[in-house]
Amino acid sequence: MTNLITTVLMQSSSDPALAAGEGTTPKTFWLPEGASTFASQNDWVFNFINYINYFFFFLVVGLMFYFVWKYRQKGREVYARGPSHNTVLELGWTILPTLIVVVIFFMGFRGFVSMKSVPANAYQIDVTALRYGWVFKYPNGATSEDLYVPAGKPVKLVMRSEDVLHSLYIRDFRVKQDVVPGRYTTMWFQADAPTEGDKFHWLFCTEFCGVGHSNMNRKVYVLNEMDFGNWVVEQGRWLDKIAPEELYSKAGPKLFARCAGCHTLDGKAGTGPSWGNYDGSGNIWERTSKSGSAHKVGGKSVSDLIGNGKQYETPEGYLRASILNPNEHIVDGFGPAMPTFKGQLNDKAIDALIGMMKHLDEFDAKGNFVGKK
Amino acid sequence: MTTLDTRPIHDEVPGNYLTFRRGILSWILTLDHKRIGVMYLVAVLTSFFVGGVMALLVRTKLLFPGEVEWMTADQYNKAFTLHGAIMVFLVIVPSIPAALGNFVLPIMLGAKDVAFPRMNLFSFYLWVLGAICAVYSLLAGGFDTGWTFYTPYSSQFGAGGTIPVLVGVFILGFSSIFTGVNFIVTIHKLRPPGMTWFRMPLFLWALYATAIIQVIATPVLGITLAMLVIERAFNIGIFDPSMGGDPVLFQHFFWFYSHPAVYIMILPGMGIISEIIAVHSHRHIFGFRFIAFSSIAIAIFSFLVWGHHMFTSGQSPLLNVLFSAITFSVAIPSAVKVFNWLATLYKGSISLNTAMWYGLAFIFLFTIGGLTGIPLAVLSTDIHLHDTYFVVAHFHYVMMGSALIAMIGGLHHWWPKMTGRMFNETWGQIACALVFVGFNMTFFTQFMLGSQGMPRRYYAYQPEFQIYHHISTGGSYIMGLGFVITAIYLIHSLFAGKKAPANPWGGASLEWQCTSPPPHDNFATTPRVGDCYDFSAVSWDEKQQGYVVDVEAHVAAAQSGKAH
Amino acid sequence: MSHSAPHADHHADHHAHGDHAKYPFLAHHFDTPLQQFESGKLGMWVFLATEVLFFGALFVMYAILRFKDPQVFSYAANYLDTILGGINTCVLILSSLTMAVAVRAAQTNKKGLLSLCLALTLAGAIGFLVIKYFEYTHKFHLNLKWGQAFYQPADEATAAAVKVEPKPVENPVLAIASPNPSAGAAPAALTALPPADKTAIAAPKTGPDGVATAQMVAATDATVHASHPEGAHLMDPTMPPNTHRFFAIYYLMTGLHGIHVLIGVGVIGWLFLGSLRGRYSSDYYTPVDLVGLYWHVVDLVWIFLFPLFYLIH
Repeated sequence: MTNLITTVLMQSSSDPALAAGEGTTPKTFWLPEGASTFASQNDWVFNFINYINYFFFFLVVGLMFYFVWKYRQKGREVYARGPSHNTVLELGWTILPTLIVVVIFFMGFRGFVSMKSVPANAYQIDVTALRYGWVFKYPNGATSEDLYVPAGKPVKLVMRSEDVLHSLYIRDFRVKQDVVPGRYTTMWFQADAPTEGDKFHWLFCTEFCGVGHSNMNRKVYVLNEMDFGNWVVEQGRWLDKIAPEELYSKAGPKLFARCAGCHTLDGKAGTGPSWGNYDGSGNIWERTSKSGSAHKVGGKSVSDLIGNGKQYETPEGYLRASILNPNEHIVDGFGPAMPTFKGQLNDKAIDALIGMMKHLDEFDAKGNFVGKK
Repeated sequence: MTTLDTRPIHDEVPGNYLTFRRGILSWILTLDHKRIGVMYLVAVLTSFFVGGVMALLVRTKLLFPGEVEWMTADQYNKAFTLHGAIMVFLVIVPSIPAALGNFVLPIMLGAKDVAFPRMNLFSFYLWVLGAICAVYSLLAGGFDTGWTFYTPYSSQFGAGGTIPVLVGVFILGFSSIFTGVNFIVTIHKLRPPGMTWFRMPLFLWALYATAIIQVIATPVLGITLAMLVIERAFNIGIFDPSMGGDPVLFQHFFWFYSHPAVYIMILPGMGIISEIIAVHSHRHIFGFRFIAFSSIAIAIFSFLVWGHHMFTSGQSPLLNVLFSAITFSVAIPSAVKVFNWLATLYKGSISLNTAMWYGLAFIFLFTIGGLTGIPLAVLSTDIHLHDTYFVVAHFHYVMMGSALIAMIGGLHHWWPKMTGRMFNETWGQIACALVFVGFNMTFFTQFMLGSQGMPRRYYAYQPEFQIYHHISTGGSYIMGLGFVITAIYLIHSLFAGKKAPANPWGGASLEWQCTSPPPHDNFATTPRVGDCYDFSAVSWDEKQQGYVVDVEAHVAAAQSGKAH
Repeated sequence: MSHSAPHADHHADHHAHGDHAKYPFLAHHFDTPLQQFESGKLGMWVFLATEVLFFGALFVMYAILRFKDPQVFSYAANYLDTILGGINTCVLILSSLTMAVAVRAAQTNKKGLLSLCLALTLAGAIGFLVIKYFEYTHKFHLNLKWGQAFYQPADEATAAAVKVEPKPVENPVLAIASPNPSAGAAPAALTALPPADKTAIAAPKTGPDGVATAQMVAATDATVHASHPEGAHLMDPTMPPNTHRFFAIYYLMTGLHGIHVLIGVGVIGWLFLGSLRGRYSSDYYTPVDLVGLYWHVVDLVWIFLFPLFYLIH
């Protein structure tokens, strides 16, 4: 048994997901490391309940085994005379557990109240959940796939979903909140210990949302104030700092990460049409831009939509509309599953993605830029 | 070593319910509650194996943390959804009331049949129809929404078989409702003279409380699923946020039924345990009145706590606090029942038959299941544990480790009565041990998985969790083996088991006073009622190789006012 | 056989074999007719409790929808014809009366009266359904349907008058800028989109909470108004958003009720045929009594539905 526990702990100690340092509680047999101000108080309640549970479990099971041994049937003895009720005992074992659970309830209640009371000075991050990914938006407009938070400050997340229910869970912070379409939900936490180097905390989606439900894992990095300030500013400007001719190669892959849940690059089937060649009419740029293309959208050929005097002057315009208003024209053979990216991708971001589509041969199947062959 | 008794089981006891009429029509058009119970049993156990195979598929995939070629995420989602839906709606909800209850209730009560035999048969055919709809849904593309069918995934996405399975569950709901109506009326109106409420065995109290829940909660499920079907088919907009609807509203409606539903699953199981522990300890049950009242209390309180499934759903903090507090009110009666059963063991005369092993396993597993409900009911700890494997482990301990184990225990306890045959005790105990060990291996590790943060319904997971999954999957195979062995020796007993006496275990309730198997009419004359937990008039008869009850003495003892 | 039939014959032993010979309707598992009758009655009451919960869930849904959007309910109730609803209410109440008389007739062994009253009840039930049929078809004609169909123009004239087709697909929440107190520096270009292909990204005019409203028409078309004096709802600028939800719950509840009336037609029809054959007498009238109970509950549900939908403005 000890070997088992050692194995478990050793396996996880080489995991980059652990961030050691002050302000954290270490991983235990039951719980992962705790890295927020909630962790120590909630863990204390959890452990308290656990010890009470151990006590009652061993009491009940111990007595059970003892009685079964001591009072086993002798021969065919068939009428055992034991007490059939005892008011004092029955009242006792009703009232005592009731008192215990009342105490436990209040402990949980107190912890809950603090989890629901968002401090006034909390740093707000807007969160969008979609199938299958997260977009974290910072006050200066910067967006990120992973969650970066400042250390030592309360952080409030204001969340909404693009499509179905999701749930944001950061296990090391002991926080979780469902993300609902059509409304905002909020949660807050405060992490005091910065994550060192590559280390991070896991962020999971914990409300079933489809085939990519287990693929929505993201990383949470806690940065000290100065580093965080720098990061936010850099993140806001990251697209601006890339030269236009390098936009597609540097920004494309990063942006493509949120398309990858539904679109493959190599022609394989997915929720959405592959950016690669899947039906003989070429990759996404080829089949959109070639005149007389056989690619069908909403029953019509795509080239009926693109051109002088038609709905879109250029293929870029059509692609842009597909990103910002995806249900307007749905490719034949696919359903209306794509969420809109309006508000999440600015012009530069769309340019980068369209650039990536134009230079698709310079990317590998995972979306990494490999350069011209 | 007795020679193999190769006569068909029905022939030993002339004129029992199995020989009463023959031919397939006499079964499928039967109005005899015992035959209906047997048909339900076969149906439910078959579904259990199908659901179990789904579970093994899921567990096998989970040996590997990443994608596997032989099962896509979509197939995985369908597998776990099918596992949940089959187990909840086709197996556990009907298992004890419809399969065992139908058989035992009238005989235990002292009646000739349930109040409405035709409605009973109709309930069975509704079950069959619901099962057919579920099978059809598989052919129509399967369904992958999770057995909870949360919107908007189920109303806007979800696979093609979603509507058929919802229709199937709707029909199953009515099967459950009619069984409930039948049991309530039977218990109220068909009791023989002397069978007052407080002379009624605790299994019947449990079935009565269950029937109340069935009758009140299930219609709400019916309407909820009907609304979901209409939403999905016509997009009327009650759950769709882009049409002004509220997805969380579905959760409220759904859990308003589904929480009481879990008590439909456990209460009859607790009733069986009361019977098994008392009979196999040969001792009066401790605290009869409390156990009886606690069943009713649980039934009532179960309607007030549905929101504890929704602490992170975005419902108001005030609701969270209220539901958390009221949840403890349901926990206390359950805990006290465990103490009562322990006290029944005290100064008993315990025979360790297979049924008793299952009863003891129930106490062990229900204690764990119940206690782990506490960190889930407590608000601050639930935030961390909700929607993780901790919840999965908790509900498997109470639904499978308790309700299902109780059902299997009851099956062994009443097997001689139902079939007229004894099964092989040694294999019974071996299988019980395998199931018990396998179960704990499978699900105890899942508590750790959950508290360490692994979310549920995950196809792929971080490698740090792999060791737990390996142990869990290994346990599931051991458990599966235990169930297969159980099936083998039970079926074998039908052909080659020792003939069963009327009262193999020494019970004092009415079902042990008729032959094994019982006659078509249950009782030739109106049975005479004593205290079903008073074993003073029971003695072993060497010739019959079974116990006998001296009815005169039994009734006299009860009338002389022996308190219980 | 009067209700005051006394002592439970439960204590009789199975010399009640005699009872079974004497009362051919007595099922084998019951000891006495009284026990059978009381069991049937209790069973029916328990079943009706399930019906109450069945409808009750929908009443809760109604309450929630109404609480959320009271103006929708006040507005949309105008589209219901109170007179027809009132007639329906009277028809149902009268049919309940004839049903009660039928039960009494069976109890007092008046077989002719029984058949007559059952026939009248049946007529009332069918009449209810006929009136409902007219109500529904009229609404379908005006496209007062559920879900997105509500927003489709009913005919070409209205379609021409409605300039922009409503598209409730886009999530209106996205259009709302999130309040951001810690917003420091000027928001980057992310929030503002340069107008590109206008036609491609035609944004539906969304109401504050949900679906496109009917504020689409600059000038009302007099001809459309003339042909639909009740008002094509799409033309009405005062229609609140989410009005389709009123019709959703209206059809759900009246539809479910209608299904129960239809079942009632079947069951009462069966009783009527049985009464013609003389099956029911003062000895055995249990089915009449039980169906009567069912019918009264169906009527009761309508008595709640009618004011909630038709009368409250």
